[in-house]
Amino acid sequence: MSKLFALIAASLLAWPAHAQFNLRDLNINKMLETVKSVGKATRDIDEPEEIAIGRDVAAHLLGAAPLVPDARLQRYVNHVGRWLASQSERPDLPWRFGVMAAPQVNAFAVPGGTIFITRGLLDKMTSEAELAGVLAHEIVHVVRKHHLKAIQKGALAGLSADAAGAALGNVNAEARAKLIAFGTEMYSRGLDKGDELEADRLGVVVAARGGYDAYGLPSVLQTLQAVNPSDSAVALMFKTHPAPAERLDMLASKMQPVLDAYAAQPQLRERFAMLVKTDR
Amino acid sequence: MRSLLLALLFPVLCHAEPATVIRAAELKSEPATDAATLAQLAENTKVDALERKGGWTRIKAGEAEGWVKMLVLRYGAGAKTGDSGLTQLFNVARTGSSGTQVTTGVRGLDEQQLAKAQANPAELAKLNTFAAERDAAAAFAAEGKLSASAVDYPKP
Repeated sequence: MSKLFALIAASLLAWPAHAQFNLRDLNINKMLETVKSVGKATRDIDEPEEIAIGRDVAAHLLGAAPLVPDARLQRYVNHVGRWLASQSERPDLPWRFGVMAAPQVNAFAVPGGTIFITRGLLDKMTSEAELAGVLAHEIVHVVRKHHLKAIQKGALAGLSADAAGAALGNVNAEARAKLIAFGTEMYSRGLDKGDELEADRLGVVVAARGGYDAYGLPSVLQTLQAVNPSDSAVALMFKTHPAPAERLDMLASKMQPVLDAYAAQPQLRERFAMLVKTDR
Repeated sequence: MRSLLLALLFPVLCHAEPATVIRAAELKSEPATDAATLAQLAENTKVDALERKGGWTRIKAGEAEGWVKMLVLRYGAGAKTGDSGLTQLFNVARTGSSGTQVTTGVRGLDEQQLAKAQANPAELAKLNTFAAERDAAAAFAAEGKLSASAVDYPKP
């Protein structure tokens, strides 16, 4: 009952300003419709919807930076990524991995199983285990639906309630465009810090499951920790993530046993160098 | 001339990285917990980091050289200069007969570029062509002598 009250209250807040001061005109049928669509927006988004939203967001990100035109490199990263995703709780998503032609140091997880890493970040790595550490972190974002939940939450707050419901149900093209724009903008704002730290902890586990030296992710974080924070190449990544030193402290305090148990697994420096460090 | 410059710069770039020991740590003769302890390093000791191996980093602390747990090291921020994202600024396209500068040619992943991004379905289609099947990924892992094992997530 209190939930229904909350829904009605939420729909009243979303009501146009003029209507709030003219209660006689309040159309009870229209209001019930709005309540229904609020209910729709707060239900779970199913997997096909998640994949469809993810495709639109991925196309937008690719509008900011295209793929590196190197098929061998792209296939290599897809092999590493798909192998790791196979060790996750969502092994059968249509996983896609892409290296973006951008000097900025960053990586992105898109709902539905699309992961991007920039050439700028790849250039800072020295082994396949480091690549695996970063991809595993991003895979955890998808497995735990961190971005999807943030999109849904933000859509409810940012769009009017009925527009959010329509957008998630793919009813209204304009509302949907707004939702996708919001989804893309989210990569400028970042997730909650707790989500990032969770992706670090669980990412270490996913990389270890895949047979990689578990120190891959901490190694990358240590490299990033040494980068001058005023370098514009790391500006967005530093803005949207906890500081590398904080992430390293958390891994040291929570993950040392796992890290050490799987530290002797392969790093695959040579295979990485052969496929990533060529013709640059 | 350029290669001479590179040759001069290269050793500087790939060698010792200044770092700080963030808590008291043992300097080991080998990258292993049961290796001989060469020295006790106090918190805030300044060292030079040389290479990483698993969870260990080889360092030089004064005259002593050995291995410490990599997570006790923090690297000096600001040690590196230069701005690797700056080239983006010069990547501006000039279009239109009026000669006015527009920025449609700017691509990249800073905040503004993300905000301006328009969907690129052609690139998305290309992304799909590089996807790897599960079986192919498993074969690739086997080539690298990677074997999967069951590892539990930590308790929250």
